[in-house]
Amino acid sequence: MTRTEHVALKGTRDGLVLYLDPVANFELLMNELDNLMKNSDQFLQGATVRCYAGKREFSEDEHAGLTTVLKQNGLELAGWMTSEEVYLPKARSYVPDARWEEGMSEGHCLFMERTLRSGKSVQYEGHVVVLGDVNPGAEIIATGNIVVLGSLRGVAHAGATGDRKASVSAYHLAPTQLRIADLVTRAPDDGTDGRGPEIARIKDDQLMVEAAGMSGWRGKAR
Amino acid sequence: MGEVIVVTSGKGGVGKTTTSANIGTGLASNGHKVVLVDTDIGLRNLDVVLGLENRIVYDLVDVTSGNCRLKQALIKDKRFPNLFLLPAAQTKDKTAVNPEQMKALAEELKTEFDYAIIDCPAGIEQGFRNAIAGADRAVVVCTPEVSAVRDADRIIGLLEAAELRNPKLIINRLRPDMVKRGDMMDISDILDILAIELIGVVPEDESIVVSTNRGEPAVMDMGSKAGEAYRRITKRIEGEDIPLMNLDVPVGIMDRLKRLIGIG
Repeated sequence: MTRTEHVALKGTRDGLVLYLDPVANFELLMNELDNLMKNSDQFLQGATVRCYAGKREFSEDEHAGLTTVLKQNGLELAGWMTSEEVYLPKARSYVPDARWEEGMSEGHCLFMERTLRSGKSVQYEGHVVVLGDVNPGAEIIATGNIVVLGSLRGVAHAGATGDRKASVSAYHLAPTQLRIADLVTRAPDDGTDGRGPEIARIKDDQLMVEAAGMSGWRGKAR
Repeated sequence: MGEVIVVTSGKGGVGKTTTSANIGTGLASNGHKVVLVDTDIGLRNLDVVLGLENRIVYDLVDVTSGNCRLKQALIKDKRFPNLFLLPAAQTKDKTAVNPEQMKALAEELKTEFDYAIIDCPAGIEQGFRNAIAGADRAVVVCTPEVSAVRDADRIIGLLEAAELRNPKLIINRLRPDMVKRGDMMDISDILDILAIELIGVVPEDESIVVSTNRGEPAVMDMGSKAGEAYRRITKRIEGEDIPLMNLDVPVGIMDRLKRLIGIG
C-alpha cells in the first residue's frame, strides 16, 4: 500500500482501490495523487482502479480531472465504490490454494463451546469445531471442515465455497442433511444409532461415511 | 421477594395454559401467595381454565397502560384466597404491551406475591418477548412429538440468549403404553436433544379435558394421574427433591399368565 496524507492506494482482493479524503480540497488531492503515482513503481501501469471518497460527490470537472491524472500515470478509472462495498467486501470466490490442497490441515478455525439449538446458524470462513451438539433446525456452513464433539443432527455444509476435500465428522453423525462442496445427501431413513464417531468426505464423486479412528474401516456409500 | 416463573413452549397446544393453571393452583394449595398472569393477549384462556371468566373487569393491558391499579385487575380464585389471576385483554393484540412494561409489572408482582406464574403465548414473536421479559426462571412444556421438541429446542436457545439460564422441562401428554410399543418418543429421546433438567412428566389423562372444561385444575383431583404429576412438579418448583412419577403401565392379566408359564 502506498499513501500520503489525504490519498491512499490499496490493493484488495477485488482489485486496486484509491481512497480519497472526502473532506480534502480537490486541488490538494490531485497534487498528492500525482506525487503518489510518480513515486510508485511502474507495475501499476495499465491497471484499472476504483475510487472511494465516502459520501463526497465529485463534480463533472473534478471527475474529468481525476481521470486525466490517473491516465497520465497509466491507470484507468473503473468506477466508484459505495461504503457498503468497501466495508462489506464480497465473499471471496474460491481460489485453490496450495496450503488448502494439502489436506486442509491449516486455516482459520472457529470453536463453539456450546450446543447449537434449532434456529441457530453459524457461518464461517474456515473450519468449525463444536464442543456440544448440533440439534435439528440448526445449521453450520463452513468453507473448511466441520467437527462436532457431540451429536450432529442439524444441517452441516463443509467446503461451502467448493472445496471437495473438506470433511464433516461427529461423535454421533446423524445430520438432517449433509453437504460437502456441491454434493448433498441426507441421513438414511432407517434409524441408525450408536455407531460411534464417523467422518464424511467425498470419495470418487460420492459422499462416503466411515468410522473415524483406528477401530476398523466401515465405509458406506450414501 | 417473590419469584417470576414463565411457562413457555414455542409450539401451541402442548399444555402451557393447563400447566400454568395447575402449577399456580398447586403452589397456592401449599400455602404460597400466587398470581397467575395470562400474557396471551387477544387469545386469553387461563381465565376459562380457572373458571374465572365472568369476573374479569380490568385486564393486563389496563394495568400496563395505567387505566387501573394492579389491585383492581387481580381476580381472586374461587377456591384459594391466596391465588390470584391477572387476565389478558381479549380485544387488543400482543403489541398493546412492551417488554419494559412487563418488567415493571413483574417487579411490582414480586413485592406482593411468593410466585408469579406467567402463561406465555405460542410463538417466538412479541408475545413471547413480553412474557419472558420479567421472568427469573423458565419452565418449558413439551409433548413427545418431533415438532414440539424442535420448537422447544428453539425456545431454549432464545431463553438462553435472553439470559434466562437453566430452563426446566415438563414433558406433557406422555402415553406410557405407546412409548412401550415404540410408537412414541420416550423421555430419553427428548432429553437427548433438549439436554435440560426434567422436573416432571405428565401422562395423557382424560380427566384434564373434564377439569379444563369445568374450570377446576386437575391438581386438586386426588384421583387423577395428571393431577398427581402436577402435585410433584409443584413440589419440585418449591425446591423439594422428589422422584418423578412412576408411569409404568399396569401389567395385564395375559402378561402375567405368560410370565407364569415362562413365555413373557
